Amino acid sequence: MMNSLPTTSAESTQTKVPQGYVSLTLGQFTCLLDHGAIRRNLLLLGLVILASIASLAIGTVALSPWQVIQALFGYGDALSQFVVQDLRLQRLLAGIYTGAAFSLAGCLMQTLARNRLATPGIIGIDNAAMAFAVSSVVSTAISIAPSAMALAGAATATALAFGLAGSSGTRGYRFIVAGIGIGAIAGAITQLMLSQVDIDTANAAYPWTVGSLSARPELMVNILGGGLFFCLIACLLLTHLFSLLPFSDAVITGLGSSTKWLRLSSLSLSIILTGLAVAVAGPVGLVALIGPEMARVFARYRGIPLIGSALAGAFIMVVADLIGRTLLSPIELPVGIVTSVVGGPYLIWILMRQRSKSTI
Amino acid sequence: MQLWFQTPPAQRSILSVLIPVALLLVFCCLASLFYGAGEVGPIDVMALLMGGGSDDARFVVLELRLPRTLIGIFAGLSLGLAGALMQSVARNPLAEPGLLGVSSGSAFAVAIALVLGASTATLSIGLAQLGALLGCFCVMGVARMQGQRNDPIRLVLAGAALSSLLIAMTSLLLLYNERAADEIRFWVTGSIAGRNVDQLLSLLPSFVIALACVVYVARPLASLALGERVAIGLGYKPGRIRLIVVFAVALLVGAATAIAGPVMFVGLVVPFAARALVGPDIRRTLWLCLPIGPLVILTADVFSRLVAQPAEMPLGVLTAMVGAPVLLAIVRAHRLPTL
Repeated sequence: MMNSLPTTSAESTQTKVPQGYVSLTLGQFTCLLDHGAIRRNLLLLGLVILASIASLAIGTVALSPWQVIQALFGYGDALSQFVVQDLRLQRLLAGIYTGAAFSLAGCLMQTLARNRLATPGIIGIDNAAMAFAVSSVVSTAISIAPSAMALAGAATATALAFGLAGSSGTRGYRFIVAGIGIGAIAGAITQLMLSQVDIDTANAAYPWTVGSLSARPELMVNILGGGLFFCLIACLLLTHLFSLLPFSDAVITGLGSSTKWLRLSSLSLSIILTGLAVAVAGPVGLVALIGPEMARVFARYRGIPLIGSALAGAFIMVVADLIGRTLLSPIELPVGIVTSVVGGPYLIWILMRQRSKSTI
Repeated sequence: MQLWFQTPPAQRSILSVLIPVALLLVFCCLASLFYGAGEVGPIDVMALLMGGGSDDARFVVLELRLPRTLIGIFAGLSLGLAGALMQSVARNPLAEPGLLGVSSGSAFAVAIALVLGASTATLSIGLAQLGALLGCFCVMGVARMQGQRNDPIRLVLAGAALSSLLIAMTSLLLLYNERAADEIRFWVTGSIAGRNVDQLLSLLPSFVIALACVVYVARPLASLALGERVAIGLGYKPGRIRLIVVFAVALLVGAATAIAGPVMFVGLVVPFAARALVGPDIRRTLWLCLPIGPLVILTADVFSRLVAQPAEMPLGVLTAMVGAPVLLAIVRAHRLPTL
C-alpha cells in the first residue's frame, strides 16, 4: 500500500523511517510502503493468479495448468492455444476487470459514506446504470453507446440519491433507503423497456439484467480495462487524501484538504468504475460489499484497502464465474446469481450484528 | 361547520372518509370493466350490463375483465391489510411484505414445489403461504434482534438482503428446471391478467381465516401501539398477538402472491394513504385499507392496460413506479414516525 507523502528531499533524508515501513524515493517524492500490507496484497495477487489459471484450465475441454501457462505465452498445441486465447481469456479478463472495478467502487463509496452498507449496488447505482444501458440497446445499435449510457445512468442515480437524502447527507441509513427506492424505479423501468420491444432485442439486452460474463463485447471490456487502469492510478495518487475521509469534516479541513473536493473526487471515481463495469457485466450483486470486506480481513491495514479491494474483487468474481460455469454444467449460471446467493447471507449477518456498524 | 379535510386526520369521523373512497373504488371497478386493450369499449359494456350486447363483448367482459377485476380486488385487500398489520407490529412505517422479502419467500417456496414436480394449481397456494410464513419469521427475527431503539430503516435493508437472496435462489432453481421456469415465468413480475376465478375460489377459506385473525387482533394491536407494558396491563399477551399477526400476514401475502405474483410496494402505499386520511389508530387504518387496497391495484391495472397499447405493462412495474416515490417521501420526512 502506498502512502505518498510529498516532502522535499532535504526533509526525507532527515526523517526516520517508521518500523515496518520501507521508504521509496522517486525524485523529490518519497513513498512509505507498509511491509505487511505489501506481503498481504501479494498474497491476494497470488490468489487471483491461481483462480485465473483454474478458470482458464477448467471447462468442457480440460487442460492442465502447465498447458494453460504454455498456451498463454503462445507455446503448446493448437487446440489449447485456441481454447485459452480465443475462448476463455476474454471472459477471464472481463471477470477480473469487473470484479476489481465493482469492489474498488464499493470501497470508495463505503469510505465516503462511512457506512459499509453503502455500496453502489445497494444504493441503486447499478440498477440505474443498467436501465440506461438497456435503453441504449433497445433503441440504438451503436456498440459504444452502452458504456456511455451506463455512466450517465450511474451519475444520475448518485445525484438523485444525494439530492433526495436531503439534509442528512451521506451519513446514516436514510441515504441508503433513498437509493433502494431509486433502484426499484430503475428496475421497473428496465422491465418496462424489455416488455415493450421485440423478442430479439430483449434477448440482446437480457445479459445486462442478470449480471453475466458470458460473451461480453470485446470493445466494452477494453474500455473498462482502460478506465480501471486510470482509476487505479488516480486512487494510488490520492490514497493519502482518501485516508482522511473517515475523519470528521472539521479535521479534514484542519489538515488542509477541501472536503468538497475530496468527496467529489472519490464519488466520481466510484461512479466511473461502476458505470463502466455495469456496461460490461450488468449489475453483479454484492461483489462491492464482499470485496472490500475480504480485503479488510486480509490486509489488516490501518488505512483504506484500495488495492486490496480491487484484488479481492477480481478474485471473487473469477471464482464465482468458475462456480457458475461448472456447478450445474452444461447449464451456465449467471455470475450475478452466484454472488447474490453467497453475499445475501453475509449482508444479513452484517445487519444482525449487535455492535453498531454504522461507521467503518 | 368544519369540512372534513380541515379537521386533523385522527378526529375525522371514519364514515366521512370511507364513503368517498368506496365510491372511488366503485368507479375504478367500472373503469376496469370498461377499458382494455381490445375493441370492446364503454358503450359495448354498458349495453351488456343493460342486458343486451354482442357475443364479443360478453366474452371479453365476463371471461377476461371480470375475473381480472375480482382478482385485483382480492389482491388489493390482502396486500393492504398485510401491510398495515406488519407496519403496526414492527412499529415501522417502512415494513412492507414485498420489501421485506415475504413475497419472495412465497415465490421461492412455489419454485421448490414446481421443481419437485407439482403443477401450479394443486400445491401452490398452501406452499406460498408456508414460504411467506418463513419469510415473515426471518425478517421479524432480524427486527427483534436489533431491538426497538435502532433505526427503523435497517429493517428495510435486512429485508432487501433477504429478498435479493431468495430471488437469486428462485432463479437458480428455475435455471435448473425448465418446466418450472415456464410455469412460473409470469410470476416474476406481478400481474393479475389471465387467471381464472376457480383459483380465486380456492383462496377464499384461507382469506376468511385471515380476516378472522385481523378482527381478533385489531384491538390488542391498538393497545400494543401504546407500548408493551400498557398492552400487558390491559390483559393482552404481546407474544401471542405478534404470532397471530405474523400468521395472518403470511396467509394474506401467500394468497396474494399465489394469485397475482409478487406485487411490490402496495403494502407500503395503502397503509400510508390510510394513515394520512384517518390518523395512526390501527383500527381506523384497517377499515380504510379495505377500500384503498383494491383501489390502488385496480387503478394501476387499468393504467397498465392503457399506457402501452396494444401490449400490456406488467402490474408490478406500475406499482413500483408509484410506490418507490412514496418510500422516498416517508424516508425524507423530517422525523420518521414510529408507529
